[in-house]
Amino acid sequence: MKAGLPTSATITSVRKLTSDTTLFALRCDDPAAAGAPLPAVASFLPGQFLELSLPGIGEVPISYCGIPSSDGTIELCIRHVGHVTIPLQNAKPGDAVGLRGPFGLGFPLKSYENQDLLLIAGGLGMAPLRSLLLALLVERGQWGELTLLYGAREPGALLFLDELLYMSQSSDIRIYLAVDRRGSCLEGIPHCRAALLPALLDQVMLQPERTHAALCGPPIVYTPLVERLNQLGLADERIHLSLERRMKCGQGRCGHCAVGTYLCCTDGPVFNYAMLKGIEGALV
Amino acid sequence: MKRLRVAITGLTSCSGCQLALLNCEAELPQLLELVDFRFFPMACSPATLESDYDAALVEGCLSMPHEQELLLSLRKRSRYLVAVGTCAAWGGVAALKNDQDREQLRQQVYGTDSTAALETFSPLPLNAVVQVDATVTGCPPEKEELIGLLTGLLKGSLPTLISYPVCTECRMKETLCLLTERSALCLGPLTLGGCGALCPALGVPCEGCRGPVPEANLAEAMEIYLQKGYAQEAACERLRRFCPGWRA
Amino acid sequence: MRYMEISKLQRLLDLLRQQGELHSPVLGDDGVTRFELLPPGKLPDLAAIRTQLPPKKYLLHPQETILTYQADAGYRVPLATVPAMILFGLHPCDLAGISYLDRIFLGDEPDQLYLSRRAALTLIGVSCTPDEFCSCRLYPSPLEAWYDLFFQQSVDGIAVSIGSPRGAELMKILDDVMEERELLLPEDTRCFFGRKIPLPPESELDQGLPEWQVLAGHCIGCGACSVCCPTCSCFDVLEFGGLDGSSAERLRRWDNCLFRSHAEVAGGMSFQKDRAQRFRYRYRHKYRGFGQVKGVPGCTGCGRCRAFCPAGLDLRALAGKLEGDAS
Ligand SMILES: Cc1cc2nc3c(=O)[nH]c(=O)nc-3n(C[C@H](O)[C@H](O)[C@H](O)COP(=O)(O)OP(=O)(O)OC[C@H]3O[C@@H](n4cnc5c(N)ncnc54)[C@H](O)[C@@H]3O)c2cc1C
Ligand code: SF4
Ligand code: SF4
Ligand code: SF4
Ligand code: SF4
Ligand code: FES
Repeated sequence: MKAGLPTSATITSVRKLTSDTTLFALRCDDPAAAGAPLPAVASFLPGQFLELSLPGIGEVPISYCGIPSSDGTIELCIRHVGHVTIPLQNAKPGDAVGLRGPFGLGFPLKSYENQDLLLIAGGLGMAPLRSLLLALLVERGQWGELTLLYGAREPGALLFLDELLYMSQSSDIRIYLAVDRRGSCLEGIPHCRAALLPALLDQVMLQPERTHAALCGPPIVYTPLVERLNQLGLADERIHLSLERRMKCGQGRCGHCAVGTYLCCTDGPVFNYAMLKGIEGALV
Repeated sequence: MKRLRVAITGLTSCSGCQLALLNCEAELPQLLELVDFRFFPMACSPATLESDYDAALVEGCLSMPHEQELLLSLRKRSRYLVAVGTCAAWGGVAALKNDQDREQLRQQVYGTDSTAALETFSPLPLNAVVQVDATVTGCPPEKEELIGLLTGLLKGSLPTLISYPVCTECRMKETLCLLTERSALCLGPLTLGGCGALCPALGVPCEGCRGPVPEANLAEAMEIYLQKGYAQEAACERLRRFCPGWRA
Repeated sequence: MRYMEISKLQRLLDLLRQQGELHSPVLGDDGVTRFELLPPGKLPDLAAIRTQLPPKKYLLHPQETILTYQADAGYRVPLATVPAMILFGLHPCDLAGISYLDRIFLGDEPDQLYLSRRAALTLIGVSCTPDEFCSCRLYPSPLEAWYDLFFQQSVDGIAVSIGSPRGAELMKILDDVMEERELLLPEDTRCFFGRKIPLPPESELDQGLPEWQVLAGHCIGCGACSVCCPTCSCFDVLEFGGLDGSSAERLRRWDNCLFRSHAEVAGGMSFQKDRAQRFRYRYRHKYRGFGQVKGVPGCTGCGRCRAFCPAGLDLRALAGKLEGDAS
């Protein structure tokens, strides 16, 4: 019942990240009493997603972009591309939306313990990886080396740049950035070069037997990234990818999101590459 | 709530699509609360174009220079331009004879006296001249589609286009298939759905009035029509009635 | 064994009508056999081999409102009381189709609309004689053909089996028209269901098989195969704003994985670009299953997809080749 029915929520803040991408904060309208557990949709793991409803327009799957917060705030980073997400461009604090979730299986944090972690994000793929990154930093002691490789079209399209540069000042994490197209302000951004995402892998030294890689990006970057990671000695089981599919229910019913005989919404969206290898169309 | 500022006009057409909207009598009072029809020559006393609209809904195809001007100026003034109806989307019946010599056609209608003739050109769908943001096809479109278009636009959203053929809706209604069971020349498999298979449900083969479905498998449909005893030309002629772009 | 002489059929139907709306296969004036309300005095078409739409139409409507929205109340499931309904004349394949849909819509979190309708249904099966489109005999199914009552047709009457407590209750009411008889009836098509069959192969489908291109070349994308399939349950979801400017309605509508839009995402990008690829998607679901029906072949062998495909396509034939003959 709950998973099928959106709970009412309200947009609490709106921050334009780039010309076509916005970070929203939302809160469920039925705040649990102090001390009580968070509403189901506000309690999630990095890599899981929710279904966001705009009344009268429709519903879209969106990854959690932050980490669960004690006041139930949920952060979503949304690119305005189509008939539901474009109207969201005009959304203001106070606007009513609906939320269902969490759905899917997130990144396997348990298996990451005491391991080196390599996060690789392309474009909007930074949204779910920001959730993972924040979760990792909260319990920094649990993991080994932390490295983030992040690529975008151009300097202006790098999401959360301020946050990332701030993080990179600490020794908790190493961050390498790349842009496809050299923009005016490239020189102003530390750790950033004009290159394609897979090329950033040349900069990192990884110990394949104690490293896990978590990837999220546009479908076309997966194949070259996985190839390169394999070359560096990383086993297929240690490569986790978050896939995107058309999703209409999130509950394994509408039949739209199959990858081979897996359903992306219930068996994914995060898969390890050993599961996907050889499946037609898995990586496109 | 801010009302949606809309311009509605017809180019070369029968005005049936605009009439379909005006026929939503039960809904019009509520619709008027949401939508401000700023320019609607067919329904209101003469109006002049204003500087901007949230959306322009244009019926009919282009066949005269002044229509082209009107279309371009609506495009410039409107955030969204929507092609309404089969003529606007595909050319429609006005474009039926586009494959014939224009001069001959003109003489058939106006005789040899060229001064009596209107200045016209071969009818074109809107997207031949301007960028079309959304299309609501149909001859005329269904009432629900027109209302859905307006309530969607009100929220800043464009309608999602159906991409399956009339057959799907025909089957959903559990109607007898006229093509397979009665060997009728039914254009359902090639025609965009959305009408609820209105004609086959009444025992009349689909005439293709909503235009081609994406990925129409013309070759196989022709194969089936041939098996049922129809000549390719008969099938093509039927297809081109609403969409001159069809070629076998 | 409980038995009913065929002459008592009208009386039986009247008794059933007292228990709920009675629906059964009826041959319409237009030549289509459909499940529909059986008016008093009319006999069901118990010889009909298949209705055009399967009984899934009672559980998942071709298009239906699944949520309503009001600014003050948020989203709500538009639950209505569903009157008791008896489906009379279901063949084992259609019973199996319902048990398949149950797996999908009555899992851990039952779909409320489906549940409300399913709970109101009494299922009465009848035995049948497979025709050239049926494939139950060749490819037995692991799906259970659950029923409340099952009527096995013989020359002059009907032998009844009870399949559930609800069926047992109903039998008490039908006792008037029943008698006890010693009978030795041959097996009926029920025996092809609920069978242990080997798990489908894990291997990926061979994309190089020419059959995929043949299927793709001939398919006209009409959608009949999924619409008419008792186990196809893909749906699309749409939402429309109300004329008051604030309310809204969310619909679901049957969908087909052979349509381009089925796997299309923003910007027109599709994960199943060509039709041959989509046939493999369909194949994987129908014969190998995905999600909660992974490993469960979902074809009941009812033959509708073959009987109603205007291009005469037959995915089953390919499955016979790829999965091996399970019988
Ligand atoms: C697991 C998952 C996580 C995602 N996370 C994010 C995120 O954090 N931020 C973000 O901006 N986007 C994310 N997306 C993509 C986002 O869902 C699509 O951009 C969005 O659905 C587009 O909908 P639309 O109505 O605006 O576009 P339209 O093109 O008009 O889409 C029409 C319909 O198609 C479906 N659809 C279209 N594109 C997609 C898509 N890419 N994925 C799934 N269904 C689609 C939707 O159901 C939509 O209603 C995610 C997608 C998935 C599957
Ligand atoms: S009658 Fe026409 S529209 Fe209906 S299923 Fe047959 S071919 Fe398609
Ligand atoms: S795939 Fe065809 S034969 Fe099998 S259950 Fe569906 S309609 Fe019947
Ligand atoms: S994926 Fe295809 S075969 Fe499976 S239920 Fe959906 S439409 Fe039917
Ligand atoms: S019924 Fe046949 S032609 Fe129609 S979509 Fe299915 S396979 Fe294609
Ligand atoms: S989103 Fe509906 S089955 Fe996966």
